[in-house]
Amino acid sequence: MTNNETLQPADGRGNVELDKATLRKVFFRWYFFSQANWNYEKMQGAGYCFSMFPVLKKVYGDDDEAMHAAVANHLQFFNSSPQATPGILGINSAVESRLGSKGTEAIAGLKTGLMGPFAGVGDSLFGVVLQTVCGSLAAYQALEGSPVGCLIYLAVGFAMMAVRWTLFKIGYTQGERAVDTITEHLKPITECASVLGLTVVGAMITTVISISLSGTYVMGDLEKPIQGMLDGILPGMLPLIAVALVYMLLSRKGMTSNKVIAIVCALGLILGCTGFFA
Amino acid sequence: MEAWQILLLTLYAAVSCWDHLCPMWYTWQPAIAGLFAGVVMGDMTTGLYIGGTLQLMVLGLGTFGGSSLPDYTSGALIGTAFAVTSGSKEIGLAIAVPTGVLLVQLDVLARFANTYFQHLCEKACERHDWRMVQAGVVMGIIPWSLSRIIPMLACLLLGQEVIATAAAVAPEWLINGFKFVGSLLPSVGLAILLRYLPLSRYWMFALLGFFLAAYLKVPVLGVAIVGLIAAGLKYAELIKAPAQPVLAAAAPVAVSADSTIEGTIDDDE
Repeated sequence: MTNNETLQPADGRGNVELDKATLRKVFFRWYFFSQANWNYEKMQGAGYCFSMFPVLKKVYGDDDEAMHAAVANHLQFFNSSPQATPGILGINSAVESRLGSKGTEAIAGLKTGLMGPFAGVGDSLFGVVLQTVCGSLAAYQALEGSPVGCLIYLAVGFAMMAVRWTLFKIGYTQGERAVDTITEHLKPITECASVLGLTVVGAMITTVISISLSGTYVMGDLEKPIQGMLDGILPGMLPLIAVALVYMLLSRKGMTSNKVIAIVCALGLILGCTGFFA
Repeated sequence: MEAWQILLLTLYAAVSCWDHLCPMWYTWQPAIAGLFAGVVMGDMTTGLYIGGTLQLMVLGLGTFGGSSLPDYTSGALIGTAFAVTSGSKEIGLAIAVPTGVLLVQLDVLARFANTYFQHLCEKACERHDWRMVQAGVVMGIIPWSLSRIIPMLACLLLGQEVIATAAAVAPEWLINGFKFVGSLLPSVGLAILLRYLPLSRYWMFALLGFFLAAYLKVPVLGVAIVGLIAAGLKYAELIKAPAQPVLAAAAPVAVSADSTIEGTIDDDE
């Protein structure tokens, strides 16, 4: 069956069997150029089209009009999580090679339907949680003077290629059914990763924010550093208060992270200059 | 600063910009950029200090839907370079933060400029010029790279003298002020992060981490192991539950995530 189908003409009638090399090209085109042309109008649209070209040539190559329709179709707006999108590319490759020109509308619907959910899961898992855990460790070790955390972070970045490839393969082999598989598996993972992330962040509050009071409390000939007294009540009290205050500040309507940074810088500079804080 | 150092730092800014967009090896993360700049400038510890501090400010900030973030990659590179040449970590950090915030404008510009190449692709598509459609995508790299190369060169070539003089005349109390800002800034990153993560559902785990570190003095890596155990238990619980409750439990996730993100990232454009 596979032997016959490789001989199918690229005339847009579909039922084309894609070889490994073509699939690999799609994957690496996305890997190296996904957002090279990111723009406010169509966002990742052109990058997506660029990635699909090897498949489009196999499916429509000999029919110029069909090719034109397909390229125009893929140049449309697209935006999702770059790391999760290989899953969509895989599904798209499977459907497009089977249906050919008959599938143009279905594919446009597929892409717009999938980019939202994939962005949601991909951004929270790969964007927020993964970067939180790796970034926390890298920052913590960097402040201790060690580059090991940074190197681990880079290693994770390279390893993510395997995750992307797995998503791509699931997408291609399962076609539309892959959507359920991917979202069902990623959701519990995202939840658990959030648990890990929050535990680490809780610890980071006292370890990376190194602020203290520098005064001493004098009563008769008894002298006690104020910070020592605070530590007796609750170690890490000042960092905890700082985070809580910033958290509340961020919750205010119309507040932006840049405004908060400006406020913290100004306030911190004044407090630091007084000499009471270190 | 030697010419080769300026060249390497500038090149790193351009390559890490592309990396951030495409393969995502995380070279753009401030800690890693700081490490690189530190090695290039011959003072790794300073690079790690500047990069690590900036890293804590961007935890949990991802570029979603094409939002632009403060360019703390260039900030870490420039801040480290000046920290080493002026001999003051505090001055370096005091430069790195506003640099990152200002340079984000060029990121926005690059995203605008690429609209031109999008149109180039579309016109080529009408002419059935498939080669040009593809070239237009690859050429998008040009505005991106320029958005990093130009400010890096400008800052590194012109800023050095100014910064060295400023560092020499700054009084002790002012340096102390900058130092305190540096210690305080990570609170912003952690607070932003807590707003992204599902704190209301899983606050007990944040408290667990705080307790382990503050009272028992467990190092962060040790706390991460405990976090991994907690995550493993949670996973077993979610997998064991029948499919229906998993989806039901996941539905409010999306809602709460939306409501927390609102108001925190609307500045990132």
